[in-house]
Amino acid sequence: MSDKNTIHYDHIIGADKDLKEILKGADLTSLLQSSGRSGVSYCAVEDAAGEVLYRYGTFPLPAEGEEQGPDNYICLKKPIYFEGEIFGYVVVSGNIQNRNLIEIITGLIHESTNTIIKSSYRALLATETHKTVVHQSYEALLETNRKLTLSESRYRNLADSLEQQVRQRTEELKHAHAKLLHQEKIASVGQLAAGIAHEINNPLGFILSNMNTLKQYVAKMSELLIFYRAALARNMINPGDMNTAEQQWKKYKLDIILSDIDTLMMESISGAERVKKIVSDLKGFSHIDETHKVDIDINKEIERTLNVLIHEILPDTEIIKDYSPLPPFTCNPADICQSFFNIILNAFQTREQGLKLVIATEHADGYIRIRFTDNGPGIPEEIRNRLFEPFFTTKEVGKGTGMGLNVAYEIVTSYGGAIEVGSVSGEGSTFSITLPLSDNASQRGHV
Amino acid sequence: MIEYDELENRMILKLVYYGPALSGKTTNLLRLHDLLEKQGRGDLTVLDTKDDRTIFFDLLPFFLVAPGGLKIKLKVFTVPGQVKHDATRKAVLQRADGVAFIADSQLSETANNFESFKNLEENLQFVGLDIDKIPLVIQFNKRDLGNIVSEHDVRSTWEPTGIPVFLSSALEGSGVVETFTSLAGHTYDHIDKKYFLKETHGLDRNTFIQQLTRKSHVIPAIKP
Ligand SMILES: Nc1nc2c(ncn2[C@@H]2O[C@H](COP(=O)(O)OP(=O)(O)OP(=O)(O)O)[C@@H](O)[C@H]2O)c(=O)[nH]1
Ligand SMILES: [Mg+2]
Repeated sequence: MSDKNTIHYDHIIGADKDLKEILKGADLTSLLQSSGRSGVSYCAVEDAAGEVLYRYGTFPLPAEGEEQGPDNYICLKKPIYFEGEIFGYVVVSGNIQNRNLIEIITGLIHESTNTIIKSSYRALLATETHKTVVHQSYEALLETNRKLTLSESRYRNLADSLEQQVRQRTEELKHAHAKLLHQEKIASVGQLAAGIAHEINNPLGFILSNMNTLKQYVAKMSELLIFYRAALARNMINPGDMNTAEQQWKKYKLDIILSDIDTLMMESISGAERVKKIVSDLKGFSHIDETHKVDIDINKEIERTLNVLIHEILPDTEIIKDYSPLPPFTCNPADICQSFFNIILNAFQTREQGLKLVIATEHADGYIRIRFTDNGPGIPEEIRNRLFEPFFTTKEVGKGTGMGLNVAYEIVTSYGGAIEVGSVSGEGSTFSITLPLSDNASQRGHV
Repeated sequence: MIEYDELENRMILKLVYYGPALSGKTTNLLRLHDLLEKQGRGDLTVLDTKDDRTIFFDLLPFFLVAPGGLKIKLKVFTVPGQVKHDATRKAVLQRADGVAFIADSQLSETANNFESFKNLEENLQFVGLDIDKIPLVIQFNKRDLGNIVSEHDVRSTWEPTGIPVFLSSALEGSGVVETFTSLAGHTYDHIDKKYFLKETHGLDRNTFIQQLTRKSHVIPAIKP
């Protein structure tokens, strides 16, 4: 139970009303007045506690010193029931001679009061409910308004900072893009490394095995040389010695050895040269030593690129080189090689077998044009113009970064060039790179 | 509870008849008014209706005195069922001690019943009442009509919830007093736990219910 004596809730529909709250009005006063004039000396409406709310006339008080009022007077008191309980009383008093009249007047006032209570109560309930509902709706409105104001100011702040956020975002994106380009380079270098390791391992393998064979040959030859030296020291080569020498020669199969040595040496040298070439191609491709712009021969760079891609070339691939002599092009060679690499690699991946790749270069009107034409399945028209977008890939997730052609695009356009793709479905695609010479090497008098 | 006045030894309780528009809430109170003993209760106040649709509410008050002297007033309200009167429904629902949900049995009203029940849940929460704790009974009204949801479906849907379900025809008068009796009983249990009606005021459950549901001896005229 509550420790307070009274709990009263504001604005609760159904809260009790007392008679005083409901009975307001001139209606009752005028009723009491006319009742009074009709011959009763006193009439009143009291609340449940007996407090007089409205009255007319004076109650015949007991005379001084007497316990009761004048005995020729009577008083009728009739309870008013409301909502099942006594709500108040109608009290009428007058001369006993007018008893009938008093009873009628009492009934009349009672009846009228009841009617007035009922209609006033209804009006009161309606008004209160209306007020409560309106108040509640108003509160709800205020709350909505408060929230709106809050979110509005949030939006305003947002709009203010939006521009800045956009700028910041753009910066972040640029940064991320640059980072991705870099990662793409690292990825292709990684891809290269695996193939190149194989390329280097192969010649190294037979060089090593040749060396082992040579070691054994050399051991045998050393033994024979020691034998000859000893015979010479004795200064006499008798027939016995000659015999032994012949036996040794045969035993060590020196005829074969001598003829094999040449092959082994030649093989090993060419193997070592291959390794040397691979390393130099790789070095050239990555242009580790050249971080600034130099004059290059594009044809040579394409060759270099093909060389480092050698492990990606399937045995039945046909590469047709249609090079024209080109003027030097001033650029960062690593960049240009990277873009060739990406385009050629892309072409290699268009077919499982029977790939024919035509690489053509030409020089005309201050431009160098390089065309890579494959006989792959072609590129559907709807994705053709999306090809150079970052992250665009038709390869399985995880197989391609979707950055390869975008990197090529970025590099070519950074030299004021253009990269275009033409494709016929089912017949193949051509990637054309056009590089302007005008603001390039020509300025420096190379052309 | 609308009010508890310890000094005056007086308690005012509120029961609310809730439900979709035209399900028969007002008719329920009209029937109770006809069927129950006049003494110990007030008249039915039908507040502002428009074309027989409740705009504010209807109110049927009961009054009883516990043997220990505690005066109890029980006010039974209906809410307006029409969707647009939601603010009024919230206002009426405030401080309710018990709810009778009057559903319309007609199959065409299934969605409306559902919506209204959801609305009841939301509004109870809005006024800070717990639907799992407040005494609640459900009445499927208009059983006299055709095309109504089957008794089996009603029971299999609602009985697992533990909420008492009654079938009625408020128009003909069946099931109305049973619904009210059940709600009164549950409300008694709920109030008794907190205010010790029996222990402190000597009012037991049966007396409470009997006081509220004494039948009138006048046979009411039944509307066709
Ligand atoms: N056939 C039939 N009609 C009923 C029954 N109960 C109520 N009705 C009728 O349904 C209509 C609506 O009844 P009300 O009691 O006014 O409905 P309400 O729930 O108060 O409606 P709102 O005040 O709009 O929320 C009236 O025409 C009633 O006569 C019933 O049991 N059977
Ligand atoms: Mg109604």
